[in-house]
Amino acid sequence: MLAVVCAAVLYPVHVPASQPAGDAEGEKINPKQIIFEHLGDGYGWEVPFNHHVRIPLPVIVRDYEGKWHCFSSSRIQHGETYDGFMLGGKESKWHNKIVGMRPVTVDGKTVMEEYRPFDLSITKNVLAIFISVIIVIWLVLSVARWYAKAGYKAPRRFKGAIEAIIVFVYDGVIKPALGVKAPKFAPYLLTVFFFILVMNLLGLIVIFPGGANLTGNIAVTLVLSLITFLVVNIFGTKHYWKEVFWPDVPWWLKFPLPIMPLIEVFGMFTKPAALTVRLFANMMGGHIIVIVLTLLIFILGAFGAAAAGATTVVSVLFSIFMLLIDVLVSFIQAYVFTMLSTLFISLSQESGHKEHEPAHEAQTVKHEQ
Amino acid sequence: MELFTPEFGLIFWMFVSFAVLFLVLAKWGWPAIMKMIEGRADLIDKGVEYAQNAKEQLDHAREEAEKYIEEARKQQADMLRDADRMKTQIIEEARGEAQKEAKKQMEAAQVAIEQARKEAELRFRDEVSAFALDIATKVVRKQMADEKAQSQLVNSLLDEIENKN
Repeated sequence: MLAVVCAAVLYPVHVPASQPAGDAEGEKINPKQIIFEHLGDGYGWEVPFNHHVRIPLPVIVRDYEGKWHCFSSSRIQHGETYDGFMLGGKESKWHNKIVGMRPVTVDGKTVMEEYRPFDLSITKNVLAIFISVIIVIWLVLSVARWYAKAGYKAPRRFKGAIEAIIVFVYDGVIKPALGVKAPKFAPYLLTVFFFILVMNLLGLIVIFPGGANLTGNIAVTLVLSLITFLVVNIFGTKHYWKEVFWPDVPWWLKFPLPIMPLIEVFGMFTKPAALTVRLFANMMGGHIIVIVLTLLIFILGAFGAAAAGATTVVSVLFSIFMLLIDVLVSFIQAYVFTMLSTLFISLSQESGHKEHEPAHEAQTVKHEQ
Repeated sequence: MELFTPEFGLIFWMFVSFAVLFLVLAKWGWPAIMKMIEGRADLIDKGVEYAQNAKEQLDHAREEAEKYIEEARKQQADMLRDADRMKTQIIEEARGEAQKEAKKQMEAAQVAIEQARKEAELRFRDEVSAFALDIATKVVRKQMADEKAQSQLVNSLLDEIENKN
């Protein structure tokens, strides 16, 4: 809660501070640029109240000759060129990304052309991922350590809360859907849940350990849903593959034109795509709303002090409200991602003998007891 | 618009990070937690079951005890009643036996008395006959001496006997 209030207070301050220093007074605000600058990745990590100082992060790139370069992001932060690399300008195809120059032959003449090197930099988002990983590991291992230390004693306070969430997901989602196979997939699903939850919540905190828009970045959600896709299809049962390629439908839907199999195969890919976009869009939407509300102050502020004052009050109140909702959304989206992953995995785990299902369930119940 | 076009670098690091996170948690985190949570749930279930059983047993034991007490009381009453009945029966029997015995004794005594009387009578008769013989002898002897006196004596003796009888 404190983090949210802190975020709500800092957001309005933070946004104007991060506008390019070159903006002269009266220059028009470019909301799109500000929004994407804030939601996007970056080399270096902003600190509050100061646009010039950024926490430097390592840049790791491979140039067109295959040579690796590694240097601090502070060397190129203000438009300098270092080792032949710089940040792409406003006109560049790769705005605010590391670019290099390489010679290309056009019409027999050799000209220097901008190119994007192979980039494995530890950017703001990458560092935020590392921080999230460390936090999740610490969270989970602290609970695991508690058990190693205290045996069957009930954990209280923080560990108790973490355990309650674990049980909530495990007993509420994983066990009912997967039954006896729950222990096999639970580690993956629980890891996904906590990872997303921590990334979501970190994204709501605007100052250093947080503030990176991780789950609102399609690369992050794409990796997560790709892993779910891999788990679903690698551990899929024979029945699952039969359902994909030879479903129980009238034969003319399968032969000579494989309509249903085509749809099923298409469905295999739409599931992870839906996962990707759902999490990405929800989280990015939350961030955009808060930033837009804040930007409103400056856009409407152009009409005079009274308008600026009134908008400030309204915007800050709405921002707080939205951030509180975002806390809820953070949890819900982590939950939904886990639930859908569980569902997709459970669909691929069906053994195909419907009449055996009750026995199977009875076995599950026995196992639970 | 990099938000919609995934960066390879980010994908790479995300994948690596997730792999590390998953491996660490799958090895040291989740299995231990799952095991302990299940174990604890089992323990609690067992505890509840045990408590329920114990309570049931306690209730049962109380009932049982009451039943036993009731039974014992009934047995006691039965026994007392039996004893009473036996006592009266024994007394009855003893009394009957005593009466029978007494009657037998009495009969035996009567028989003995009768026999003794008969014997006495017999003996008396013998004695009388001996006596009579004696007298006869004496009379005979006196007759030898004085016929008259003898006959007088015989007469007087006979009178005596006659009077006696």
